[in-house]
Amino acid sequence: MRSAVPEHPIGLLYSTTGTYAAIGRDALDGALMALDEVNADPAFPFRLQALVENPGGVIDRYHGACESLIRDRGCRHVVGTITSLSRKEVLPIIEKHDALLWYMCPYEGFECSDNVVYTGACPNQHIVPLFHHVLPRYGTRGYLAGSNYIWGWETNRIARELIAACRGEVVAERYLPLGSEDVGRLVAEIADKRPDFVLNNLIGPSSYAFFHAMRKLAEHDPAFSPDRCPIVSCNLTECELALIGDGAVGHLSSAIWFEGVPGEASRDFVARARARLGAGRPLSAFLVGGYQAVRILAEALREAGTPDLGAVRPVVTGRAFDMPAGRVRIDPRTNHAELTPHLGRIAAGGRFEIIASAAGPVAPDPYLVHFDPESLAALVRRSGRRPDGPILKVVT
Amino acid sequence: MTAKSFPIPNFRAWRAVVLHRPSPAADGVLRQLERLGIEARQLWPELEPAPPGPDVVFFDADMGYDGQFPWPIGEPPVPLVALVGSEAPGRLEWVLGQGATAHLMKPVQSGGVYSALVVACHGFALRRALDREIGDLRGRLRRRPRVARALAGVMTAHGIDETEAMRRIRAAAMERRQTIEDYCDGLLAGRGARAAGREA
Repeated sequence: MRSAVPEHPIGLLYSTTGTYAAIGRDALDGALMALDEVNADPAFPFRLQALVENPGGVIDRYHGACESLIRDRGCRHVVGTITSLSRKEVLPIIEKHDALLWYMCPYEGFECSDNVVYTGACPNQHIVPLFHHVLPRYGTRGYLAGSNYIWGWETNRIARELIAACRGEVVAERYLPLGSEDVGRLVAEIADKRPDFVLNNLIGPSSYAFFHAMRKLAEHDPAFSPDRCPIVSCNLTECELALIGDGAVGHLSSAIWFEGVPGEASRDFVARARARLGAGRPLSAFLVGGYQAVRILAEALREAGTPDLGAVRPVVTGRAFDMPAGRVRIDPRTNHAELTPHLGRIAAGGRFEIIASAAGPVAPDPYLVHFDPESLAALVRRSGRRPDGPILKVVT
Repeated sequence: MTAKSFPIPNFRAWRAVVLHRPSPAADGVLRQLERLGIEARQLWPELEPAPPGPDVVFFDADMGYDGQFPWPIGEPPVPLVALVGSEAPGRLEWVLGQGATAHLMKPVQSGGVYSALVVACHGFALRRALDREIGDLRGRLRRRPRVARALAGVMTAHGIDETEAMRRIRAAAMERRQTIEDYCDGLLAGRGARAAGREA
């Protein structure tokens, strides 16, 4: 009977080895979990065939891997890429073949392709709410650290604008090469300049080494303990906490899902994921992201009755999808998701404690068209924190 | 990262015209502009001169011709972005002659519109600033003979050398918040001679 069921090949393009392997593994595991659930569910009149490609975190391998999925193996839909570098790398192939890329990571925005469904957070859903929380509470003198590529550059650039709007000060903006663990100079500079908070846009091993070194600094000087000078991130999740250990406890990160997110869909997801992956496995927004991308794709395929983009697109943007992270809608104008941002404080044991959440889903604004920096400035003013630095000083 | 920083451009509530025959090329631009919060209209063949005028114009470089724009050729009052299909040199020459400060290749993909807009606006603002500065410098050059006459007059009237006369003129102009040229005009017209002299 199964042989009569149509199969749709789905490309899963994630680096499960290499510098950001921890994220890639969660993304792939989430995607495969959704895929298996769909295949086991008789309500779906088709099977999804997983075609997994692992570029190993090597940027030059993405182009070939994506092209092979689409051209040679017949995928109309590719779920994948973590870094913006790799997304930009495959985008021309996706557009050339009029395929659809399902991209579920938080990213820096300022992109809007008709051939991408963006189910991850864009800046008004990660750094903007993060700064709304951090600046009024900890102050407006920020130290901006990042890995030397587009995510770090652009997210820090938005951070500069937000800090400038509050008449705060960027005490320094520093970048490390991807994969570098040479964080000593950054930490020495932070010890010297004593910012109110540190924005961490480092990724992978750079980020882990940075947390370790900052923890050591805080042991010598309590002014750098997380309650006084937090390290805040836009994309740090449970899947990387084990790699950092206790060094991250007390610091903050923004995400569209944490394990403690209320709601039945989230609780059910946690139970199913634990049964599948083992009780000891931390569950992250990237796991949920991979899961949601495939799940939304499968529901759209079912409703459209075909993998053709012309039929799938209107379904994707035409209705809401009940997902572990809540009710997700894809905005037909921008192809980006409405999402509910949460702010988590890292607790012992590799978990996050949710300390703030948006009141409801936040509409995506990938080009920050509707962002009003004055509202953040007013919030900071009301907090009574006086701007005490020069208006804006960028150290390059 | 960069020596000079430009704030994130926000185009909310801008008005754009896409001067192009109805086509998928024009639709792609319109859709992307809408995503940037820009109110965009497609028009062809002529740009309506009636207000409110657009804040930016995307125009077809392939079928475009002189006389489509309600302003003197090459003096656009807003940034222009050329939509280029044919790369024939004659067409590119025409595009440059219109004063476009950015271009987009057809077919227009989802990428490109935002950067073309940012580059066009920056180029336009830069050119405006340079035009203003050149105009100002030209004006001052034209008035140089009058400054020389005033300088000679002050030297003679006070029995001082050229350096000292220039110093007094500059100080007096600054005190009155005038340019040196305007102050010298006043001197030659008989006003303010005492002001320059009082310095001594």
